[in-house]
Amino acid sequence: MSRPTKTYVPSPEWIVLDWHHACIETDALCIQQCDKCGRWRHPPRRCCPDCFSDSYEFRPVAGTGSVRSLAVSHRSLDPGWNERAPYAVLLVELDEGPSVLAATDLCPAEIEIGQPVDLTTERRSDDFSLVWANPR
Amino acid sequence: MTSDVWGGCAIVGVGETDYVRGGDRHVCDLILDAAIEAISDAGLTPAHIDGIIPPPGYMSTEEIAAHLGVPDVAYHASILMGGASPTASLQTAAMAIAAGVADTFLICMGWNGYSALRPKPDARPTKRTMNLGPMGETVRNLYAPYGLMSAAQHYSLYLRHYVERYGVPEDAAAAVALTCRDHAQLNRKALMRGRPLTRDEYDAAPFIAEPLRKFDCCVETDCATAIVVTSIERARDLPHPPAVYLGGAEGHPQPADEIANRPDLLELGIHRAAPRAFARAGIAPTDVDVLEIYDCFTYVVLLQLEALGYAEPGDAASFVADGNIGLEGRYPMNTHGGLLSQGHCWGLNHVVEATRQLRGTADAQVPDAEVALVTGYGDLGDGSVAILGKDR
Ligand SMILES: [Zn+2]
Repeated sequence: MSRPTKTYVPSPEWIVLDWHHACIETDALCIQQCDKCGRWRHPPRRCCPDCFSDSYEFRPVAGTGSVRSLAVSHRSLDPGWNERAPYAVLLVELDEGPSVLAATDLCPAEIEIGQPVDLTTERRSDDFSLVWANPR
Repeated sequence: MTSDVWGGCAIVGVGETDYVRGGDRHVCDLILDAAIEAISDAGLTPAHIDGIIPPPGYMSTEEIAAHLGVPDVAYHASILMGGASPTASLQTAAMAIAAGVADTFLICMGWNGYSALRPKPDARPTKRTMNLGPMGETVRNLYAPYGLMSAAQHYSLYLRHYVERYGVPEDAAAAVALTCRDHAQLNRKALMRGRPLTRDEYDAAPFIAEPLRKFDCCVETDCATAIVVTSIERARDLPHPPAVYLGGAEGHPQPADEIANRPDLLELGIHRAAPRAFARAGIAPTDVDVLEIYDCFTYVVLLQLEALGYAEPGDAASFVADGNIGLEGRYPMNTHGGLLSQGHCWGLNHVVEATRQLRGTADAQVPDAEVALVTGYGDLGDGSVAILGKDR
């Protein structure tokens, strides 16, 4: 299945924009990490849920994880994604701990819960990159 | 004057428009139609109203007060929990009444839930919108870029997990959809009255977002509802038997504004709200006679029934299939047809129906209903519970 090129691209702001800029600058999936206790967290938050520190950095992660759940949509209000329907969006638990949503080239029937996947990012604008997850 | 929060106030007036798809009523008129009916039903006038909880969007307290001619608003609050808002609003009103901050609340809800998306030629246009509250940013930035724009898609992230974790059968929620449609046949105002649903039609319907098929999803409607809440003392002097607010609670999943990073995808707001609500009302789940469960989607009903203690985790499918929720069952549920078949008024229609059940005036009346439990569910899994009872 070819990847859709015309889909909704948001214009994030604040801390979510900082996350996308980190992914775009490093051309890799970055995740927020607490400077004080080292905990990884997502989506971007001002304070660490463990130690309350608000000192953090967005750093590249290994880009490996496993499928925790998925949304199989048989229609989408976004015409670009709707062309792929039925299509799956994966909820991937990264090996570092946090979970991210990710597009995938897999068909829904090919996906198993717990399946290991590799994650990459696709730059869609100066301020937004899409996460993809596919089998290694 | 101060009094008890739990058991200290009651619903004394209800108002409800028709549930339609398109029409010539402006959304503000819908909201005010329901408000006027609720105040009149309570035997009161706008001069008696001194507390207002407006809908999440569309109209402000200031506008509602001005259009109705409410002369002195002593307190107002906006509750932004999506479909959990109306049921949670009762808690706010009860606290304010018990504290003596306000005596009599108008709580209203209304929207053009159908026409906003699919304008009809005769529908009066509006630029007014719903207040998406906390979920707007999450959907805009994290979910919509992946084509996940509808609530069915967002919730499927954990409903699919529910199916996987417990090995729930594909037809687990069929009884919820069919029972609500059956009950709608008896409700004068239900959108789906006269349009029964068969098991074959349910099974043959296409998926929207797995495991949700077409008839697992509620019906978008243009509608409004309103209630009037006042102290139990004043309630006893008014025309209708009071529906006493015995207790209630709200709860929020952690984190509430995002689904993917919850430690347990199936721990929702109602899991926190339910034990609080039963403790405050001083009753057990088995004391309830009627259930009005927020049914935006059938599977969400299953999760709530488990959180309330009516079924073990993963086993609500057998509870609903075993005849418990029909009118003749032990726990008649969504006796008005619910959001699935009466119409979608953010669950304030569930509160209206529960009030009628306790008055003994519901279209599908449960004999001798003394305690009714209402739930709200909204945004990305916020929950609320209200337990209402007859005055003793
Ligand atoms: Zn930390």
